[in-house]
Amino acid sequence: MPRDASTDKPLVELVNITKIYPPDIVALEDVSLRIYKGEILFLTGMSGAGKTTLIKLLFCLETPTRGLIEIAGRDLFRLSPVGIQQMRQKIGVAYQDFRLLDKQTVFQNIAMAMEVTYASAKEIRVRVGELLDLLNLASKRNKPVGELSRGEQQRVALARAAANRPTLLLADEPTGNLDQTTTELVINLFRRLNEEDGSTIVVATHDESIYAKTEHRVVELHNGQLAAHLEQTPRQVELF
Amino acid sequence: MQFLTYILCQTGKNLRQTWGAQVMTLLTVTLSVLIFAFFFLIYTNMLRASAQLGDDVRLIVYLDQEVTEQMRPVLETRIRDFGPVEKIVFVSRAEAFARLSAQMGKEKDVLNDLGPDFLPPSLEVYPLKNLNDLSKINQFSDFLQTLPYVTKVQSGLDWLQRFGYFTSLLRIVVLLSGSLLIISMTFIVSYTLRLTVLSRQGELEILRLLGASSAYIRLPLLLEGMLQGVLGSSLGLAALYILYQWIVSRFSGPGFLKLFEFTFFPFELTAAILLAGIVLCTVGSLFSIRRFIRI
Ligand SMILES: Nc1ncnc2c1ncn2[C@@H]1O[C@H](COP(=O)(O)OP(=O)(O)OP(=O)(O)O)[C@@H](O)[C@H]1O
Ligand SMILES: [Mg+2]
Repeated sequence: MPRDASTDKPLVELVNITKIYPPDIVALEDVSLRIYKGEILFLTGMSGAGKTTLIKLLFCLETPTRGLIEIAGRDLFRLSPVGIQQMRQKIGVAYQDFRLLDKQTVFQNIAMAMEVTYASAKEIRVRVGELLDLLNLASKRNKPVGELSRGEQQRVALARAAANRPTLLLADEPTGNLDQTTTELVINLFRRLNEEDGSTIVVATHDESIYAKTEHRVVELHNGQLAAHLEQTPRQVELF
Repeated sequence: MQFLTYILCQTGKNLRQTWGAQVMTLLTVTLSVLIFAFFFLIYTNMLRASAQLGDDVRLIVYLDQEVTEQMRPVLETRIRDFGPVEKIVFVSRAEAFARLSAQMGKEKDVLNDLGPDFLPPSLEVYPLKNLNDLSKINQFSDFLQTLPYVTKVQSGLDWLQRFGYFTSLLRIVVLLSGSLLIISMTFIVSYTLRLTVLSRQGELEILRLLGASSAYIRLPLLLEGMLQGVLGSSLGLAALYILYQWIVSRFSGPGFLKLFEFTFFPFELTAAILLAGIVLCTVGSLFSIRRFIRI
């Protein structure tokens, strides 16, 4: 359900973020945004609007040219290497380009995320099995990721992002290669994470079908700038 | 516990991925340890042998006639005036003959024909132990030559001198093979590790994104180097021990090796070589880790 923005403490706060790629490509310009704990946020915009850039900033893969990002009250760019490492364990990211290891199996790829947190072999088996069932990938468990279709790889990337029940899940174009039925599986996964584990979820997408009828907040990037406050008018028709 | 399991698993994975290079590295490390330890073993044995020989240094001065009771103190003071001497022993013809027949044991009958007078009388000078410097002993020998009645001075010094040259040559060889050891271990181990890092670069990158701790990424690599050190050094030392046993069994019996007992390293030295090997390999892996992995 939509949150009351004025009372909740934001989990993520972006203040006047500008990102300029060398030499002078302005990917984000003066973006200020609050993301509240437990909400689902759709980040929309045309191709090249800066969605991926914003997600990379949240994950410390890029540094902003100007501005401040706080996660849980901590300045992201003052974190020590150990701080970044610990933060990354709590943030699950499904990359637009997946970043999977083609030679390793579906299971191994997903398990990797849990191994770095030193989860036990049993925990990993159970959790990965659960996710594979949810995303209809159980039959591909022991296949090398390189032999899967794009849509299957996309779901593996999502499963890896969700494996640790992250505090914050960043999904970049999670349904780009999926049909309607499979898209619903993905949305179902988001809903479960949000409801059962209290995960905050940010979905970057230009797939209008998944946010058109949502009650959740939708913000739109336009040429690197945050467009007029769409989130003020939550839509009431439920897809979620 | 869980942590350790993961580190070991990762190490195993790394080894499997580059096993060809790993085996080559192991062989190189083993060989360098073997070469170095072999020369070092010979060197330590030579050192001990030359110390033993130095202890036995004596100058035998052959005379053309017996020294009379009155002459003895005169000669003795002249010798003692020249240099510090531990003792001087006068050996008469009869004594020399008695010694020889004692040495011959059962075969002393041969000597009967020669008669008790065929050996010259002599004088044995034992320089003080601290006079181990070969050139000083040489001077001593030259001096003894000038004494009356002296026909010949036998010092065995030529031989001792050659032995000394050989020992210092061996010292150079030991130093060289030691440097070879250091270079081969650190560089080759760090090179192999670089192969591991390169072959797993994609994986390491993703591990970083997933928030793997630096220990999770680095320890397996460190462990890999350490493992090379442990295995390589032990194998090298084991090979040396086998070689040593072979030499001993082959050349035992009367002769050179009976004179100087050929012994293996004492336990402490063996342990020290092993430890040095491990440390060198670990340092080699640290090089790679620092150079190729930034977190
Ligand atoms: N590493 C980079 N170097 C230079 N320019 C970049 C880099 N990454 C992105 N850009 C530029 O920044 C702008 C925003 O890119 P971004 O990837 O954030 O867009 P996006 O909204 O994710 O687009 P899409 O929907 O196609 O994924 C684009 O103009 C892009 O060309
Ligand atoms: Mg993008």
